[in-house]
Amino acid sequence: MKNRHYSFLFSIIGLLVFFPVAFLIVTSFALQWTWPQILPTEWSTIGWNALIEEPKLFLALRTSIGIGAIVVFINLAIGFPAAKVLAFQSFKGKSFIEAFLLMPILIPGLAVAMGLHLTMIRIGVADHWAGVALVHLVPTIPYTIKIFRSGFERVGSFYELQALSLGASQKEVFTSIYLPQLITSIRSATFLIFVISLSQYALTAIIGGGNVVTLAMIYFPYLSSVNNAVIASFSLLFAGIPLLFILIIEIVIRMFIPYRSLTNTQQ
Amino acid sequence: MKWFKQTKYVWPLVPAVLFVFIFVGYAIMMALLESITINGQWTLDAYKQLLENQSFRDSILFSLKVTLTSTFISLFIGVVITRWMYYYLRNYWVKVLIWIPMLFPHFVWGYIVILLFSQSGWFSGLLYELGLLEDFTHFPVLTQDQHGIGIISTYIFKEVPFVILIILPVYIQMNHQYKHVVQTLGGSKWEIFKTVEWPTIFPVLSEAGIIIFAFVLSAFEVPFLLGATYPKMVSILSYDWFFQGDWSQRPMAFAAMIIVTSIIVICSIVLFSMTNRLRIRVSKGER
Repeated sequence: MKNRHYSFLFSIIGLLVFFPVAFLIVTSFALQWTWPQILPTEWSTIGWNALIEEPKLFLALRTSIGIGAIVVFINLAIGFPAAKVLAFQSFKGKSFIEAFLLMPILIPGLAVAMGLHLTMIRIGVADHWAGVALVHLVPTIPYTIKIFRSGFERVGSFYELQALSLGASQKEVFTSIYLPQLITSIRSATFLIFVISLSQYALTAIIGGGNVVTLAMIYFPYLSSVNNAVIASFSLLFAGIPLLFILIIEIVIRMFIPYRSLTNTQQ
Repeated sequence: MKWFKQTKYVWPLVPAVLFVFIFVGYAIMMALLESITINGQWTLDAYKQLLENQSFRDSILFSLKVTLTSTFISLFIGVVITRWMYYYLRNYWVKVLIWIPMLFPHFVWGYIVILLFSQSGWFSGLLYELGLLEDFTHFPVLTQDQHGIGIISTYIFKEVPFVILIILPVYIQMNHQYKHVVQTLGGSKWEIFKTVEWPTIFPVLSEAGIIIFAFVLSAFEVPFLLGATYPKMVSILSYDWFFQGDWSQRPMAFAAMIIVTSIIVICSIVLFSMTNRLRIRVSKGER
Protein backbone atom coordinates (compact mmCIF):
# COMPACT_ATOMS: atom_id res chain seq x y z
CA MET A 1 0.00 0.00 0.00
CA LYS A 2 2.67 2.41 1.10
CA ASN A 3 4.99 1.60 -1.79
CA ARG A 4 2.21 1.90 -4.31
CA HIS A 5 1.42 5.39 -3.05
CA TYR A 6 5.05 6.40 -3.22
CA SER A 7 5.56 5.19 -6.76
CA PHE A 8 2.31 6.82 -7.86
CA LEU A 9 3.29 10.12 -6.25
CA PHE A 10 6.74 10.00 -7.76
CA SER A 11 5.41 9.21 -11.23
CA ILE A 12 2.95 12.13 -11.09
CA ILE A 13 5.58 14.55 -9.88
CA GLY A 14 8.04 13.09 -12.37
CA LEU A 15 5.63 13.71 -15.20
CA LEU A 16 4.80 17.24 -14.12
CA VAL A 17 8.25 18.35 -12.97
CA PHE A 18 10.97 16.28 -14.59
CA PHE A 19 9.45 16.13 -18.05
CA PRO A 20 9.32 19.91 -18.65
CA VAL A 21 12.81 20.38 -17.22
CA ALA A 22 14.25 17.49 -19.25
CA PHE A 23 12.50 18.94 -22.28
CA LEU A 24 14.23 22.29 -21.72
CA ILE A 25 17.60 20.54 -21.43
CA VAL A 26 17.05 18.63 -24.69
CA THR A 27 15.91 21.84 -26.44
CA SER A 28 19.01 23.69 -25.26
CA PHE A 29 21.24 21.14 -27.03
CA ALA A 30 19.19 20.87 -30.22
CA LEU A 31 20.68 22.00 -33.50
CA GLN A 32 18.22 20.51 -35.96
CA TRP A 33 14.73 19.89 -34.64
CA THR A 34 11.78 20.28 -36.99
CA TRP A 35 8.14 19.41 -36.44
CA PRO A 36 7.00 16.60 -35.99
CA GLN A 37 10.22 14.95 -34.76
CA ILE A 38 10.05 13.68 -31.19
CA LEU A 39 13.76 14.27 -30.61
CA PRO A 40 16.30 16.54 -32.31
CA THR A 41 18.10 14.99 -35.28
CA GLU A 42 21.30 16.92 -34.64
CA TRP A 43 22.76 17.98 -31.32
CA SER A 44 25.20 20.73 -30.47
CA THR A 45 26.18 23.26 -27.83
CA ILE A 46 25.53 26.19 -30.14
CA GLY A 47 22.65 27.42 -27.95
CA TRP A 48 24.84 27.60 -24.86
CA ASN A 49 27.72 29.17 -26.79
CA ALA A 50 25.47 31.86 -28.23
CA LEU A 51 24.16 32.60 -24.74
CA ILE A 52 27.63 32.92 -23.24
CA GLU A 53 28.74 35.16 -26.09
CA GLU A 54 25.83 37.56 -25.48
CA PRO A 55 27.72 40.79 -24.68
CA LYS A 56 25.25 42.00 -22.07
CA LEU A 57 25.00 38.66 -20.24
CA PHE A 58 27.74 39.08 -17.65
CA LEU A 59 26.72 42.61 -16.77
CA ALA A 60 23.12 41.44 -16.43
CA LEU A 61 24.22 38.52 -14.26
CA ARG A 62 26.10 40.90 -11.99
CA THR A 63 23.15 43.32 -11.82
CA SER A 64 20.61 40.57 -11.11
CA ILE A 65 22.69 38.87 -8.44
CA GLY A 66 23.59 42.20 -6.82
CA ILE A 67 19.98 43.39 -6.71
CA GLY A 68 18.85 39.94 -5.50
CA ALA A 69 21.40 39.94 -2.67
CA ILE A 70 20.38 43.43 -1.51
CA VAL A 71 16.69 42.50 -1.68
CA VAL A 72 17.36 39.36 0.40
CA PHE A 73 19.33 41.34 2.97
CA ILE A 74 16.70 44.09 3.43
CA ASN A 75 13.98 41.44 3.53
CA LEU A 76 15.67 39.60 6.38
CA ALA A 77 16.32 42.85 8.26
CA ILE A 78 12.67 43.97 8.03
CA GLY A 79 10.97 40.57 8.16
CA PHE A 80 12.84 38.87 11.00
CA PRO A 81 11.86 41.26 13.85
CA ALA A 82 8.30 41.68 12.55
CA ALA A 83 7.82 37.91 12.33
CA LYS A 84 9.06 37.42 15.90
CA VAL A 85 6.48 39.85 17.28
CA LEU A 86 3.68 38.26 15.26
CA ALA A 87 4.69 34.79 16.43
CA PHE A 88 5.10 35.47 20.16
CA GLN A 89 3.07 38.55 21.13
CA SER A 90 -0.65 39.05 21.12
CA PHE A 91 -1.94 42.59 21.04
CA LYS A 92 -4.98 44.57 20.05
CA GLY A 93 -5.45 44.82 16.30
CA LYS A 94 -3.06 41.95 15.54
CA SER A 95 -5.28 40.39 12.87
CA PHE A 96 -5.57 43.81 11.22
CA ILE A 97 -1.78 44.18 11.18
CA GLU A 98 -1.48 40.68 9.72
CA ALA A 99 -3.83 41.54 6.87
CA PHE A 100 -2.08 44.90 6.39
CA LEU A 101 1.33 43.23 6.06
CA LEU A 102 -0.08 40.95 3.37
CA MET A 103 -1.03 43.97 1.21
CA PRO A 104 2.18 44.19 -0.87
CA ILE A 105 1.40 40.85 -2.54
CA LEU A 106 -2.31 41.58 -2.92
CA ILE A 107 -2.13 45.10 -4.38
CA PRO A 108 -1.05 44.91 -8.06
CA GLY A 109 2.71 45.37 -8.43
CA LEU A 110 2.12 47.29 -11.66
CA ALA A 111 -0.04 49.83 -9.81
CA VAL A 112 2.63 50.23 -7.13
CA ALA A 113 5.48 50.62 -9.63
CA MET A 114 3.53 53.11 -11.76
CA GLY A 115 2.48 55.04 -8.66
CA LEU A 116 6.05 55.27 -7.36
CA HIS A 117 7.57 56.08 -10.76
CA LEU A 118 7.36 59.90 -10.61
CA THR A 119 8.48 60.03 -6.98
CA MET A 120 11.44 57.78 -7.76
CA ILE A 121 12.44 60.07 -10.63
CA ARG A 122 12.20 63.03 -8.27
CA ILE A 123 14.43 61.51 -5.59
CA GLY A 124 16.79 60.15 -8.23
CA VAL A 125 16.51 56.38 -7.80
CA ALA A 126 14.54 55.69 -10.98
CA ASP A 127 16.69 54.27 -13.82
CA HIS A 128 19.04 53.09 -11.08
CA TRP A 129 19.58 49.69 -9.47
CA ALA A 130 18.65 51.11 -6.07
CA GLY A 131 15.12 51.96 -7.22
CA VAL A 132 14.75 48.53 -8.80
CA ALA A 133 15.91 46.83 -5.58
CA LEU A 134 13.41 48.90 -3.57
CA VAL A 135 10.51 47.96 -5.82
CA HIS A 136 11.54 44.27 -5.71
CA LEU A 137 10.91 44.41 -1.95
CA VAL A 138 7.19 44.79 -2.64
CA PRO A 139 6.43 41.26 -3.92
CA THR A 140 8.80 39.64 -1.39
CA ILE A 141 8.40 41.15 2.12
CA PRO A 142 5.10 39.39 2.99
CA TYR A 143 6.57 35.97 2.16
CA THR A 144 9.59 36.60 4.36
CA ILE A 145 7.39 37.58 7.29
CA LYS A 146 5.21 34.49 6.76
CA ILE A 147 8.13 32.07 6.52
CA PHE A 148 9.89 33.43 9.60
CA ARG A 149 6.69 33.64 11.57
CA SER A 150 5.99 29.95 11.14
CA GLY A 151 9.66 29.28 11.90
CA PHE A 152 9.44 31.16 15.21
CA GLU A 153 6.18 29.38 16.06
CA ARG A 154 7.87 26.03 15.45
CA VAL A 155 10.84 26.88 17.68
CA GLY A 156 8.80 28.51 20.45
CA SER A 157 10.00 31.15 22.90
CA PHE A 158 11.07 28.75 25.68
CA TYR A 159 14.73 28.60 24.68
CA GLU A 160 14.93 32.37 24.67
CA LEU A 161 13.31 32.67 28.11
CA GLN A 162 15.66 30.02 29.47
CA ALA A 163 18.72 31.77 28.02
CA LEU A 164 17.60 35.20 29.26
CA SER A 165 17.03 33.86 32.76
CA LEU A 166 20.58 32.48 32.68
CA GLY A 167 21.87 35.94 31.80
CA ALA A 168 22.35 35.74 28.05
CA SER A 169 22.33 38.95 26.05
CA GLN A 170 19.93 39.61 23.12
CA LYS A 171 22.83 39.10 20.75
CA GLU A 172 23.67 35.72 22.25
CA VAL A 173 20.01 34.73 22.07
CA PHE A 174 20.05 35.61 18.39
CA THR A 175 23.32 33.89 17.42
CA SER A 176 23.06 30.80 19.60
CA ILE A 177 19.30 30.11 19.56
CA TYR A 178 17.35 31.61 16.69
CA LEU A 179 20.04 31.63 14.01
CA PRO A 180 20.76 27.89 14.23
CA GLN A 181 17.13 26.90 14.88
CA LEU A 182 15.71 29.00 12.06
CA ILE A 183 18.18 27.84 9.45
CA THR A 184 15.49 26.11 7.39
CA SER A 185 13.43 29.32 7.39
CA ILE A 186 16.48 31.36 6.34
CA ARG A 187 17.12 28.91 3.55
CA SER A 188 13.57 28.90 2.16
CA ALA A 189 13.11 32.67 2.54
CA THR A 190 16.43 33.48 0.83
CA PHE A 191 15.65 31.11 -2.01
CA LEU A 192 12.12 32.37 -2.55
CA ILE A 193 13.06 36.08 -2.38
CA PHE A 194 15.91 35.57 -4.81
CA VAL A 195 13.74 33.70 -7.31
CA ILE A 196 10.97 36.32 -7.10
CA SER A 197 13.50 39.13 -7.61
CA LEU A 198 14.94 37.37 -10.67
CA SER A 199 11.45 36.92 -12.17
CA GLN A 200 10.46 40.59 -12.21
CA TYR A 201 10.20 41.97 -15.71
CA ALA A 202 7.44 44.60 -15.60
CA LEU A 203 8.52 46.19 -12.29
CA THR A 204 12.15 46.34 -13.45
CA ALA A 205 11.14 47.81 -16.81
CA ILE A 206 9.00 50.55 -15.25
CA ILE A 207 11.39 51.64 -12.49
CA GLY A 208 14.65 50.73 -14.26
CA GLY A 209 13.46 52.38 -17.47
CA GLY A 210 15.66 50.10 -19.60
CA ASN A 211 18.83 51.38 -17.93
CA VAL A 212 18.96 48.66 -15.31
CA VAL A 213 19.61 45.54 -17.36
CA THR A 214 18.73 42.46 -15.34
CA LEU A 215 18.50 38.95 -16.79
CA ALA A 216 14.73 39.23 -17.28
CA MET A 217 15.32 42.41 -19.31
CA ILE A 218 17.36 40.50 -21.90
CA TYR A 219 15.24 37.32 -21.73
CA PHE A 220 12.07 38.98 -23.01
CA PRO A 221 13.50 40.49 -26.22
CA TYR A 222 15.21 37.12 -26.84
CA LEU A 223 11.81 35.42 -27.08
CA SER A 224 11.10 37.06 -30.42
CA SER A 225 14.61 37.21 -31.83
CA VAL A 226 16.72 34.09 -31.26
CA ASN A 227 16.22 30.37 -31.70
CA ASN A 228 14.83 27.94 -29.15
CA ALA A 229 18.18 26.41 -28.18
CA VAL A 230 19.41 29.79 -26.91
CA ILE A 231 16.18 30.60 -25.07
CA ALA A 232 16.13 27.13 -23.49
CA SER A 233 19.71 27.56 -22.29
CA PHE A 234 18.77 30.95 -20.87
CA SER A 235 15.71 29.43 -19.16
CA LEU A 236 17.92 26.83 -17.47
CA LEU A 237 20.30 29.56 -16.38
CA PHE A 238 17.38 31.13 -14.49
CA ALA A 239 17.10 28.01 -12.35
CA GLY A 240 20.86 27.61 -11.98
CA ILE A 241 21.51 31.04 -10.47
CA PRO A 242 19.27 30.71 -7.39
CA LEU A 243 20.77 27.26 -6.77
CA LEU A 244 24.27 28.72 -6.89
CA PHE A 245 23.21 31.63 -4.70
CA ILE A 246 21.66 29.33 -2.10
CA LEU A 247 24.85 27.24 -2.11
CA ILE A 248 26.93 30.33 -1.31
CA ILE A 249 24.48 31.37 1.42
CA GLU A 250 24.69 27.86 2.85
CA ILE A 251 28.47 28.06 3.07
CA VAL A 252 28.31 31.50 4.71
CA ILE A 253 25.69 30.33 7.22
CA ARG A 254 27.73 27.25 8.10
CA MET A 255 30.80 29.36 8.72
CA PHE A 256 29.02 31.59 11.21
CA ILE A 257 26.75 29.22 13.04
CA PRO A 258 27.63 27.61 16.36
CA TYR A 259 26.32 24.13 17.31
CA ARG A 260 26.74 22.63 13.87
CA SER A 261 25.82 19.14 15.02
CA LEU A 262 22.58 20.42 16.48
CA THR A 263 21.48 22.04 13.24
CA ASN A 264 22.25 18.89 11.34
CA THR A 265 19.99 16.79 13.52
CA GLN A 266 17.25 19.40 13.08
CA GLN A 267 16.93 18.78 9.35
CA MET B 1 0.00 53.09 30.55
CA LYS B 2 -1.21 49.77 29.18
CA TRP B 3 -0.79 51.06 25.64
CA PHE B 4 2.77 52.11 26.40
CA LYS B 5 3.59 48.67 27.77
CA GLN B 6 2.16 47.11 24.64
CA THR B 7 4.10 49.31 22.23
CA LYS B 8 7.35 48.27 23.86
CA TYR B 9 6.88 44.78 22.43
CA VAL B 10 5.45 45.95 19.15
CA TRP B 11 8.18 48.32 17.97
CA PRO B 12 10.02 45.66 15.88
CA LEU B 13 6.94 45.75 13.63
CA VAL B 14 7.54 49.41 12.80
CA PRO B 15 9.94 48.95 9.82
CA ALA B 16 7.58 46.46 8.17
CA VAL B 17 4.48 48.59 8.74
CA LEU B 18 6.29 51.72 7.57
CA PHE B 19 7.42 49.90 4.46
CA VAL B 20 3.85 48.91 3.58
CA PHE B 21 2.66 52.48 4.25
CA ILE B 22 5.17 53.95 1.82
CA PHE B 23 5.36 51.25 -0.84
CA VAL B 24 1.67 50.40 -0.92
CA GLY B 25 -0.27 53.23 0.74
CA TYR B 26 1.68 56.10 -0.77
CA ALA B 27 2.14 54.36 -4.14
CA ILE B 28 -1.58 53.65 -4.54
CA MET B 29 -2.44 57.20 -3.46
CA MET B 30 -0.11 58.57 -6.14
CA ALA B 31 -1.60 56.20 -8.73
CA LEU B 32 -5.09 57.34 -7.74
CA LEU B 33 -4.07 61.01 -7.99
CA GLU B 34 -2.57 60.49 -11.43
CA SER B 35 -5.71 58.71 -12.58
CA ILE B 36 -7.86 61.73 -11.70
CA THR B 37 -5.56 64.51 -12.92
CA ILE B 38 -5.34 65.48 -16.58
CA ASN B 39 -3.20 68.55 -17.32
CA GLY B 40 -3.33 69.60 -13.69
CA GLN B 41 -7.14 69.51 -13.57
CA TRP B 42 -9.12 67.08 -11.44
CA THR B 43 -11.41 65.01 -13.59
CA LEU B 44 -12.93 61.56 -13.88
CA ASP B 45 -12.45 61.52 -17.66
CA ALA B 46 -10.00 58.61 -17.57
CA TYR B 47 -12.60 56.42 -15.86
CA LYS B 48 -15.33 57.57 -18.28
CA GLN B 49 -13.07 56.74 -21.23
CA LEU B 50 -12.31 53.33 -19.77
CA LEU B 51 -15.94 52.41 -19.25
CA GLU B 52 -16.78 53.49 -22.79
CA ASN B 53 -13.82 51.56 -24.18
CA GLN B 54 -14.99 48.23 -25.60
CA SER B 55 -11.52 46.66 -25.47
CA PHE B 56 -11.20 47.55 -21.77
CA ARG B 57 -14.62 46.11 -20.90
CA ASP B 58 -13.80 42.89 -22.77
CA SER B 59 -10.39 42.87 -21.15
CA ILE B 60 -11.65 43.15 -17.57
CA LEU B 61 -14.21 40.36 -18.10
CA PHE B 62 -11.59 38.18 -19.77
CA SER B 63 -9.09 38.87 -16.96
CA LEU B 64 -11.62 37.95 -14.30
CA LYS B 65 -12.57 34.76 -16.15
CA VAL B 66 -8.93 33.68 -16.56
CA THR B 67 -8.09 34.62 -12.96
CA LEU B 68 -11.05 32.87 -11.32
CA THR B 69 -10.52 29.74 -13.42
CA SER B 70 -6.80 29.48 -12.64
CA THR B 71 -7.34 30.24 -8.95
CA PHE B 72 -10.10 27.69 -8.34
CA ILE B 73 -8.51 24.91 -10.39
CA SER B 74 -5.14 25.43 -8.64
CA LEU B 75 -6.79 25.37 -5.20
CA PHE B 76 -8.84 22.29 -6.08
CA ILE B 77 -5.92 20.25 -7.47
CA GLY B 78 -3.69 21.41 -4.60
CA VAL B 79 -6.19 20.27 -1.96
CA VAL B 80 -6.90 16.94 -3.70
CA ILE B 81 -3.19 16.09 -3.94
CA THR B 82 -2.41 17.25 -0.39
CA ARG B 83 -5.27 15.48 1.41
CA TRP B 84 -4.59 12.32 -0.51
CA MET B 85 -0.84 12.36 -0.14
CA TYR B 86 0.02 14.44 2.94
CA TYR B 87 1.46 11.44 4.75
CA TYR B 88 3.88 10.75 1.92
CA LEU B 89 4.55 14.39 1.16
CA ARG B 90 6.43 14.64 4.45
CA ASN B 91 9.29 12.80 2.80
CA TYR B 92 12.26 15.16 2.45
CA TRP B 93 12.92 14.34 -1.21
CA VAL B 94 9.29 14.72 -2.21
CA LYS B 95 9.39 18.20 -0.66
CA VAL B 96 12.52 19.02 -2.63
CA LEU B 97 10.69 17.92 -5.80
CA ILE B 98 7.77 20.24 -5.07
CA TRP B 99 10.21 23.14 -4.81
CA ILE B 100 11.55 22.54 -8.34
CA PRO B 101 8.68 24.35 -10.15
CA MET B 102 9.30 27.29 -7.80
CA LEU B 103 12.86 27.42 -9.13
CA PHE B 104 11.81 28.75 -12.53
CA PRO B 105 10.24 32.17 -13.02
CA HIS B 106 6.65 32.24 -14.28
CA PHE B 107 7.75 33.35 -17.73
CA VAL B 108 10.01 30.30 -18.13
CA TRP B 109 7.02 28.04 -17.46
CA GLY B 110 5.12 30.10 -20.01
CA TYR B 111 7.87 29.45 -22.53
CA ILE B 112 7.79 25.70 -21.76
CA VAL B 113 4.01 25.70 -22.32
CA ILE B 114 4.55 27.31 -25.73
CA LEU B 115 7.20 24.73 -26.67
CA LEU B 116 4.94 21.85 -25.65
CA PHE B 117 1.40 22.92 -26.46
CA SER B 118 1.53 25.35 -29.39
CA GLN B 119 0.18 24.17 -32.75
CA SER B 120 3.66 23.31 -33.97
CA GLY B 121 4.75 22.22 -30.51
CA TRP B 122 5.99 18.90 -29.20
CA PHE B 123 2.61 17.38 -28.38
CA SER B 124 1.15 18.09 -31.80
CA GLY B 125 4.28 16.47 -33.28
CA LEU B 126 3.81 13.45 -31.03
CA LEU B 127 0.16 13.08 -32.09
CA TYR B 128 1.20 13.36 -35.74
CA GLU B 129 3.83 10.65 -35.34
CA LEU B 130 1.24 8.45 -33.65
CA GLY B 131 -1.02 8.97 -36.65
CA LEU B 132 -3.70 10.79 -34.66
CA LEU B 133 -3.23 14.13 -36.40
CA GLU B 134 -3.18 14.92 -40.10
CA ASP B 135 -1.48 18.27 -39.92
CA PHE B 136 -0.50 20.76 -37.24
CA THR B 137 -3.25 23.13 -38.31
CA HIS B 138 -5.70 20.53 -36.94
CA PHE B 139 -4.16 20.79 -33.47
CA PRO B 140 -6.34 23.00 -31.20
CA VAL B 141 -5.04 26.52 -30.52
CA LEU B 142 -3.94 26.25 -26.88
CA THR B 143 -1.41 29.08 -26.66
CA GLN B 144 -1.98 32.74 -27.50
CA ASP B 145 -5.64 31.70 -27.75
CA GLN B 146 -8.76 33.78 -27.19
CA HIS B 147 -9.92 31.75 -24.20
CA GLY B 148 -6.69 32.15 -22.23
CA ILE B 149 -6.09 28.38 -22.05
CA GLY B 150 -2.33 28.86 -22.32
CA ILE B 151 -2.30 31.49 -19.56
CA ILE B 152 -4.53 29.39 -17.32
CA SER B 153 -2.48 26.21 -17.72
CA THR B 154 0.80 28.04 -17.03
CA TYR B 155 -0.60 29.44 -13.81
CA ILE B 156 -2.01 26.07 -12.73
CA PHE B 157 1.41 24.45 -13.30
CA LYS B 158 3.06 27.08 -11.16
CA GLU B 159 0.43 27.60 -8.43
CA VAL B 160 -0.47 23.99 -7.54
CA PRO B 161 2.93 23.46 -5.82
CA PHE B 162 2.38 26.81 -4.05
CA VAL B 163 -1.01 25.63 -2.72
CA ILE B 164 0.50 22.30 -1.61
CA LEU B 165 3.36 24.04 0.22
CA ILE B 166 0.92 26.32 2.03
CA ILE B 167 -1.69 23.77 3.17
CA LEU B 168 0.66 20.83 3.78
CA PRO B 169 1.64 21.99 7.31
CA VAL B 170 -2.07 22.34 8.18
CA TYR B 171 -2.76 18.76 7.12
CA ILE B 172 0.26 17.45 8.99
CA GLN B 173 -0.71 19.25 12.22
CA MET B 174 -4.43 18.47 11.92
CA ASN B 175 -5.94 16.38 14.70
CA HIS B 176 -6.76 13.27 12.70
CA GLN B 177 -8.63 11.67 15.58
CA TYR B 178 -11.63 13.87 14.76
CA LYS B 179 -11.82 11.95 11.50
CA HIS B 180 -12.15 8.69 13.42
CA VAL B 181 -14.95 10.23 15.46
CA VAL B 182 -16.89 11.07 12.29
CA GLN B 183 -16.16 7.59 10.94
CA THR B 184 -17.32 5.85 14.12
CA LEU B 185 -20.51 7.86 14.04
CA GLY B 186 -21.13 6.56 10.51
CA GLY B 187 -20.05 9.64 8.56
CA SER B 188 -18.99 9.38 4.93
CA LYS B 189 -15.66 10.56 3.51
CA TRP B 190 -17.38 13.71 2.29
CA GLU B 191 -18.69 14.40 5.80
CA ILE B 192 -15.18 13.93 7.19
CA PHE B 193 -13.92 16.51 4.73
CA LYS B 194 -16.81 18.89 5.39
CA THR B 195 -16.79 18.80 9.19
CA VAL B 196 -13.15 18.12 10.09
CA GLU B 197 -10.85 19.22 7.29
CA TRP B 198 -12.70 22.13 5.69
CA PRO B 199 -13.02 24.35 8.80
CA THR B 200 -9.32 23.79 9.54
CA ILE B 201 -7.99 24.47 6.06
CA PHE B 202 -10.47 27.19 5.06
CA PRO B 203 -8.59 30.19 6.54
CA VAL B 204 -5.26 29.10 5.05
CA LEU B 205 -6.81 28.06 1.75
CA SER B 206 -8.70 31.32 1.35
CA GLU B 207 -5.51 33.25 2.00
CA ALA B 208 -3.66 31.23 -0.65
CA GLY B 209 -6.65 31.77 -2.94
CA ILE B 210 -6.66 35.55 -2.59
CA ILE B 211 -2.87 35.68 -3.11
CA ILE B 212 -3.18 33.71 -6.36
CA PHE B 213 -6.25 35.71 -7.44
CA ALA B 214 -4.50 39.05 -6.88
CA PHE B 215 -1.34 37.86 -8.59
CA VAL B 216 -2.97 36.38 -11.71
CA LEU B 217 -5.33 39.33 -12.14
CA SER B 218 -2.50 41.86 -12.29
CA ALA B 219 0.66 40.04 -13.41
CA PHE B 220 2.20 41.07 -16.71
CA GLU B 221 4.79 38.45 -17.69
CA VAL B 222 2.70 35.35 -18.48
CA PRO B 223 -0.08 37.05 -20.50
CA PHE B 224 2.61 38.97 -22.40
CA LEU B 225 3.98 35.62 -23.61
CA LEU B 226 0.80 33.59 -23.92
CA GLY B 227 -1.98 36.11 -24.43
CA ALA B 228 -3.92 36.63 -27.67
CA THR B 229 -4.04 40.00 -29.43
CA TYR B 230 -7.70 40.25 -28.41
CA PRO B 231 -8.96 40.24 -25.69
CA LYS B 232 -5.90 41.30 -23.71
CA MET B 233 -5.42 40.85 -19.97
CA VAL B 234 -5.96 44.18 -18.19
CA SER B 235 -2.30 44.31 -17.04
CA ILE B 236 -1.13 44.28 -20.67
CA LEU B 237 -3.52 47.10 -21.65
CA SER B 238 -2.40 49.17 -18.68
CA TYR B 239 1.31 48.56 -19.36
CA ASP B 240 0.90 49.51 -23.04
CA TRP B 241 -0.95 52.71 -22.13
CA PHE B 242 1.70 53.58 -19.54
CA PHE B 243 4.51 53.30 -22.09
CA GLN B 244 2.68 55.10 -24.92
CA GLY B 245 5.15 57.75 -26.06
CA ASP B 246 3.26 60.99 -25.45
CA TRP B 247 1.96 60.09 -21.94
CA SER B 248 -1.58 60.98 -23.07
CA GLN B 249 -2.86 57.51 -22.14
CA ARG B 250 -1.21 57.46 -18.69
CA PRO B 251 -4.33 58.51 -16.75
CA MET B 252 -6.10 55.54 -18.35
CA ALA B 253 -3.24 53.21 -17.38
CA PHE B 254 -3.53 54.42 -13.78
CA ALA B 255 -7.34 54.27 -13.77
CA ALA B 256 -7.29 50.66 -15.04
CA MET B 257 -4.90 49.68 -12.26
CA ILE B 258 -7.01 51.51 -9.65
CA ILE B 259 -10.06 49.53 -10.81
CA VAL B 260 -8.14 46.25 -10.52
CA THR B 261 -6.85 47.29 -7.09
CA SER B 262 -10.41 48.05 -5.94
CA ILE B 263 -11.64 44.63 -7.10
CA ILE B 264 -8.84 42.92 -5.16
CA VAL B 265 -9.37 45.04 -2.03
CA ILE B 266 -13.12 44.34 -1.98
CA CYS B 267 -12.57 40.59 -2.45
CA SER B 268 -9.94 40.52 0.32
CA ILE B 269 -12.16 42.38 2.78
CA VAL B 270 -15.06 39.99 2.14
CA LEU B 271 -12.79 36.96 2.52
CA PHE B 272 -10.99 38.18 5.64
CA SER B 273 -14.24 39.03 7.40
CA MET B 274 -15.55 35.55 6.49
CA THR B 275 -12.49 33.79 7.90
CA ASN B 276 -12.52 36.00 10.99
CA ARG B 277 -16.14 35.08 11.69
CA LEU B 278 -15.25 31.41 11.21
CA ARG B 279 -12.25 31.74 13.53
CA ILE B 280 -14.43 33.30 16.24
CA ARG B 281 -17.01 30.52 15.85
CA VAL B 282 -14.30 27.85 16.06
CA SER B 283 -12.76 29.41 19.16
CA LYS B 284 -16.20 29.47 20.82
CA GLY B 285 -16.48 25.76 20.06
CA GLU B 286 -19.55 25.85 17.83
CA ARG B 287 -19.01 24.58 14.33
